[in-house]
Amino acid sequence: MMLSIKNLKAEVEGKEILKGLDLQVGAGEVHAIMGPNGSGKSTLAHILAGRDGYAVTAGEVLFNGESLIELAPEERASRGIFLAFQYPVELPGVNNTHFLKEALNAQRKARGEPELDSVAFLKLIREKLAMVSMQPELLKRPVNAGFSGGEKKRNEILQMALLEPKLAILDETDSGLDIDALKTVSDGVNALRSPDRSVILVTHYQRLLDYIQPDFVHVLAGGKIVRSGDKGLAKELEAKGYGWLSGQDEAA
Amino acid sequence: MNSDTQTQHDLQGILHLGQKRMATGMPDTDWQSVTRQRGTAGVAAMARPDRKQEAWRYTPLGFLDQAEYQPIVEGPFDALQLSDIEDLMLAEPPAIRLVFVNGYLASGLCSMAKATSGVVLSSLAGGLGEVPAALRQQLDAIAEHNHVFAALNSALMSDGALIHLAAGARLDGPIEILHVSVGLEQPGICHPRHLIVLEDGARAEVIERYCGLGDGTYFTNALIEVSLGSDSELLHQRMQEESVHAQHLSDLQVRLGARSRYQLTLAALGGAWSRNDVRVTFGGEGATAQLDGLMLAGDRQFNDVHLVVRHEVPNCTSRETFKGILDGSGRVVFDGHIVVSRDAQKTDAVLSNRNLMLARSAEVDTKPQLEIYADDVKCSHGTTVGELDPDMLFYLRSRGIPEHQAKQLLCQGFAQEVFDGMANPALRARAGKLLAARLLESA
Repeated sequence: MMLSIKNLKAEVEGKEILKGLDLQVGAGEVHAIMGPNGSGKSTLAHILAGRDGYAVTAGEVLFNGESLIELAPEERASRGIFLAFQYPVELPGVNNTHFLKEALNAQRKARGEPELDSVAFLKLIREKLAMVSMQPELLKRPVNAGFSGGEKKRNEILQMALLEPKLAILDETDSGLDIDALKTVSDGVNALRSPDRSVILVTHYQRLLDYIQPDFVHVLAGGKIVRSGDKGLAKELEAKGYGWLSGQDEAA
Repeated sequence: MNSDTQTQHDLQGILHLGQKRMATGMPDTDWQSVTRQRGTAGVAAMARPDRKQEAWRYTPLGFLDQAEYQPIVEGPFDALQLSDIEDLMLAEPPAIRLVFVNGYLASGLCSMAKATSGVVLSSLAGGLGEVPAALRQQLDAIAEHNHVFAALNSALMSDGALIHLAAGARLDGPIEILHVSVGLEQPGICHPRHLIVLEDGARAEVIERYCGLGDGTYFTNALIEVSLGSDSELLHQRMQEESVHAQHLSDLQVRLGARSRYQLTLAALGGAWSRNDVRVTFGGEGATAQLDGLMLAGDRQFNDVHLVVRHEVPNCTSRETFKGILDGSGRVVFDGHIVVSRDAQKTDAVLSNRNLMLARSAEVDTKPQLEIYADDVKCSHGTTVGELDPDMLFYLRSRGIPEHQAKQLLCQGFAQEVFDGMANPALRARAGKLLAARLLESA
């Protein structure tokens, strides 16, 4: 199992958000995690990436057999975990190309691989740019600064394409995207699908799943996975709404 | 004897010792005697600043009691070869480069492109031939002795670049003025004095750098006069990269003619103690001044900028953006003062000071002031003091960039807005590298 989460409980500022979450993600699988606002979807994504401010009070998170909880965000990244942010952060004054190169080389260095020189890097980034239909001009600008919503999301997918993670977590990547951008972003994700790479799609809407076909769909409500199924579950949710599950949530 | 008399004696001691050593005579510099006399009188009349004076309230001067500075009044210091200062050179050295070592021109290290029509490059001590009358007359025409150090500079001025562009003259590439200080057995104090005069419609780019070779203790006390004629333009890029034990004081005084454009980019990165006084006076309508600066105060560094912009005539624009980065026990002082006189209607001025604190133990004292006597103006100021944004740090770390490297990237990004104002790419690159290196040393 690539990712194994058992009975995960976590709180923010003393408030319990995750209340015993279980999730198993195998290599090559695409899992969609759906759920109403405030159910803990983004918290889960951030905890997996190692963000400060969350206290894990119980349970375990194993990534390829290794516990993630004690690892720094950069250590998780170099082991192959990637989070595409719902709200990508603007970094004024930090050149996008420079940032991408620093990120790739930092990961390579951490894994004991040789760093890429500027020429090799530019060649590589040009290939990846084409994959996500991103304007080359955006490489010369500060990271995300003044980017449109769609450009920011493309920049996330560009980073994912460049860093080639083993587990990509996409946090509401579809939010705020028009249909063209959604399609480009989805194409980028689909291009990366492979037997040894897994994806967790965190989303509120079923729409993204028309473009990226999940192997499994989970519903997160009240800090737990309350139901799991195949992509049919997403359709059912679309038809009936999350209210349909709330009764079961109480019962579970 | 109270302490004031004692310390006054110290600066006067420097003056007397310097004058005694100088007395052996440089006959071709008699034209400077009026300036020197004015300086001497100023030193005698002015006390060493103390905390009772607003402009020095936050500037510690205790270091003056720690070392007995020996005035360096003899040049040239010709022991250095180009290979010795390789690390201090820009990656693409400008075709015109005037190198001063311990305050005096080092001819062997200079590079002089072929003469451009209307451009005169000279040196105060005569190392580039006799100083033309046009420059002699302009020396000391602008300088005010706002403090005793400026007076001391006038009295003991060592050497410096004298640059004159005739009306309409244009220089394509930059002129670089490079100071190299070599630590001596006893800490030295030198008094570089530069003069840049652009007549009407002239245009030039000047790079002015102060470097230390090794990590000696010394005191650079510089004064720079800049005079811009109507419709002229000067890109003035200054970088203070002194040794970590050095004291550096620069007093830059600028007078702007009608419709002239002055762009100053200052990177004050080095030194244990650094103070930059910048005084810009608008003397003709329609002129523009863009003044940007980056102050680094790493652990045990003190970095001070005092800015006075005087809008004395109507329809002038000024933009002032100064940023501080502080770490460890570093201290930044920023005093930005914009004065808009009664006649200066339609003045447009925006003053900003932003500070990035990397450690709680650092300290910043910032005081932006607008003093406005006209009634139809557009003026504003803003100040921020903040820490690194945790969201930005997490974003970088989530991409695999280790924490210390992420902090560095963000600091460089913060400084980049200022460095981007440097027209010279090699200088811009050097500023970025130097900042990274100093941040690393400080961490």
